[in-house]
Amino acid sequence: MSVTGSRRLLSVVAFIAVSLAAGSVQAQTRAETLRYVTGASVNTLDPNIPGSTREAFAVSLSTYDRLVSFGRKQLNGKWVFDLGKITGELAESYEVSPDGLKMTFRLRKDAKFQDGSPVTAEDVKWSLDRVVTAPVLGKAQLLTGSMTSADQFKVIDPLTIEVTLPKPDKLALPNLATVYPIIFNSKVAKEHTTADDPWALAWLKENTAGSGAYKIETFKPGEQVIMARNTAWDRGTADKSAFFKRVIVQSVPEPATRANLVERGDADLVIDLQASDVQSLEAKGKLKVISTPQYNAVTFISMNNQIPPFDNVNVRRAVAFALPYDDMFKAALFGRGSPLFGATWTDGKPTSGAYPIAQPVKLDLEKAKEYLKAAGMPDGFSTTFSFNVGQASTAEPMAALVKESLAKIGIKVDIQKLPDAQMSTQINEKKLPFFTEGIVAWLPSTDYFYRNFYTGNQRWNYSSINNPELVEIAQKARFEPDAAKYEEDGLKLNAIHFSELPQIPLWQPSQDAVMASSVEGYTYQFHRQVDYRDLNRK
Amino acid sequence: MAALGATVIRAGRRFLSSLPALFGVLVFTFLLMRVLPGDPAVFFASGPNAGKEEIEVIRKQMGLDKPVPEQLMLYLYDVGSGNLGRSMMTGQMVTKDLRERLPASLELTFTALLIALVTAVPLGVLAALRPGSIIDHGVRFFCALGVCVPTFVSGLLLIYVFYYLLGLAPDPTGRVDIFASLPPRQTGFLLIDFLLAGDFDGWWAAFRQLILPALSMALFVVAPLARITRASMLVSLGSDFVRTARSVGLPWWRVVVTYALRNAILPVITIAGIVFSTMLGANVLVEKVFSWPGVASYALDALLSSDYAPVQGFVLLMATVFVIVNLLVDILYGIADPRVTIG
Repeated sequence: MSVTGSRRLLSVVAFIAVSLAAGSVQAQTRAETLRYVTGASVNTLDPNIPGSTREAFAVSLSTYDRLVSFGRKQLNGKWVFDLGKITGELAESYEVSPDGLKMTFRLRKDAKFQDGSPVTAEDVKWSLDRVVTAPVLGKAQLLTGSMTSADQFKVIDPLTIEVTLPKPDKLALPNLATVYPIIFNSKVAKEHTTADDPWALAWLKENTAGSGAYKIETFKPGEQVIMARNTAWDRGTADKSAFFKRVIVQSVPEPATRANLVERGDADLVIDLQASDVQSLEAKGKLKVISTPQYNAVTFISMNNQIPPFDNVNVRRAVAFALPYDDMFKAALFGRGSPLFGATWTDGKPTSGAYPIAQPVKLDLEKAKEYLKAAGMPDGFSTTFSFNVGQASTAEPMAALVKESLAKIGIKVDIQKLPDAQMSTQINEKKLPFFTEGIVAWLPSTDYFYRNFYTGNQRWNYSSINNPELVEIAQKARFEPDAAKYEEDGLKLNAIHFSELPQIPLWQPSQDAVMASSVEGYTYQFHRQVDYRDLNRK
Repeated sequence: MAALGATVIRAGRRFLSSLPALFGVLVFTFLLMRVLPGDPAVFFASGPNAGKEEIEVIRKQMGLDKPVPEQLMLYLYDVGSGNLGRSMMTGQMVTKDLRERLPASLELTFTALLIALVTAVPLGVLAALRPGSIIDHGVRFFCALGVCVPTFVSGLLLIYVFYYLLGLAPDPTGRVDIFASLPPRQTGFLLIDFLLAGDFDGWWAAFRQLILPALSMALFVVAPLARITRASMLVSLGSDFVRTARSVGLPWWRVVVTYALRNAILPVITIAGIVFSTMLGANVLVEKVFSWPGVASYALDALLSSDYAPVQGFVLLMATVFVIVNLLVDILYGIADPRVTIG
């Protein structure tokens, strides 16, 4: 070998060594980065803005702190948020007065905003005032916790704030742990207010002023958000900052691509895959799959109780006994979730006062025919069954099975697949006779579900049910301090639900989180997104 | 030089004469969006607990609380002052969204069209030289295959083979590796911006990212281009001037390229122009499959959520692009065949 030849060889070896070293440096930064891919997109940095997406909630909870947050508990071996355990986030401690009318929060002395200024009670007051005063989403949410006016929030001293309530309300404190009452740096926010926009809605939509675990690095609506760790934040597990140095939240609309990405190890975590993909990934065993039934969500088939023929309870019962539940569950979700059908109620009484509970219905065509006869429609009728395009992957196979099965008792069903905006409009105008939808409650208590989804002439009362007894019990239960009496109210409500059958609960779908086997700490959260602060890599 | 000046003046006049058409498109889209079923305010107020009040707030924000003629006047005024409104989906100004996303779509479409032309023209010529032969049938088969496989299927197949199985392609999301840093934005075309920044690794990364989506788009349009090349080559090969050229003993490639192809290229340019305009807007599926941040997927999302401003802005943009492309086609005509002038 000539001299030049060996020198060339040497330089090649050196080059390879250098590039390998460079590769390992890059691998290191990747290990400290969490890449999360999702089908939806983040469209605002302030979750309060009307139209904000679920993805936006997850980002906001990483960049902002709230006064309090939910603890977590184990449910069948999986971590889920715990509605019953509320811990301080910005508040070091809190106390509720014995009569339940006053909540006092003491702020952490060391809490700082990302610009270095301390978090004060003034900031908390400004933020809470904003939620109940400005035209934002939080207004309606805090209403469910009896917080409606800025007068209810009082600064006691720079680190103490007091919230007064007109009535003791079980949901007041949990409401402060939802995504809307996040605490803004009021000094920064006020600099960006205008005469038309006294609450800086426009500026905070594209900028952040918080004290949270992450800072926004880049924000491209509809594409990606990149966040960098705020090292000063120490409210993570065991009093330390969040684990990942960077978090990338990327929109990848095609579910098959998301599955490929996580399987190839290019993405660390994905939650909204198709059930079939989750099943095959789980079978391969390379990745960690955590399936948690969304215990604060319900998928149901709704009937409009004011439109004939569904205004007849016997028609609704006939439909309930003519649905092929098992086949639908398998076709739509591959059995991933917890079913809400096929229960046995001894003496026909509900077994629990919780919502939702499994209903004593199953496929029984003979019974269904009897109910149709009782309704005076032995030969059946024609109707339409609607679902929205966004849910087509689960609703389409389900709709086909509904159509097939109802045809057996003479009900002719025309399937209607509606664009999401059109479906929302028709639901709002109460024009759909028969359709499938899903509901979610952040604060899943029985009275909350019944008040929001079964009363009033509002959009979320999908079945348009109007039952004075149900309304009365649900309203009363809200302020019921006695747990035993509350359970009794729940039992009554569930009994009314089954006797009226305004809609047919089907199941609680699973939230399937598929992640690299090195990712740990995943917890199912009330907003059905990933709290990036929970996660670490072993 | 004088000829060039004349061409520019004529092109300018042509553009001006297409302004009424653009205005028509503007008004038509505006009205169309408003007669479509679906109330955007209700859709965007779909968060938990959003009631009547929230819906009203959004309606006001979107300007839907005013009567339609007034909305139209306000909209025309805004468009006249260069404001296409604000998107509810992304929360940004539509002009900003489009400006950011158009280069992504253009870069992809140009590359795809280039690939398609480079494949289709030689294929068409080959098929025309030996009509009825094995080659001709082969080309026909290839074209049929390209057209009958929808772009999202070919896209997913390409991803499956080159990314998932072989690991040759980078992960099929976006325009550049998510961990890579972007060049300073000059033109918005990543391939050009990386070159301007002198970052060749970046250029290579962006190029690799571009190949699969461009291929799946190109596959779909090879067929019309190859077919039209073949047809017009056949006509031109059978014409008198080619026979004369042959008879005087010119080399065959000179006959094919200079005499036959140059005369056969006009219809190919026309079709390429049309193909380009349709690809830009219609390849939403490719953009979706590859998470390509382009204008088509943006418009589709907007349409599904009845977000008026982006849809209107997109249609206006497409109409403008169509006018410009047609103009370019006319100018190219003049270069290919000097007898043609644009008037």
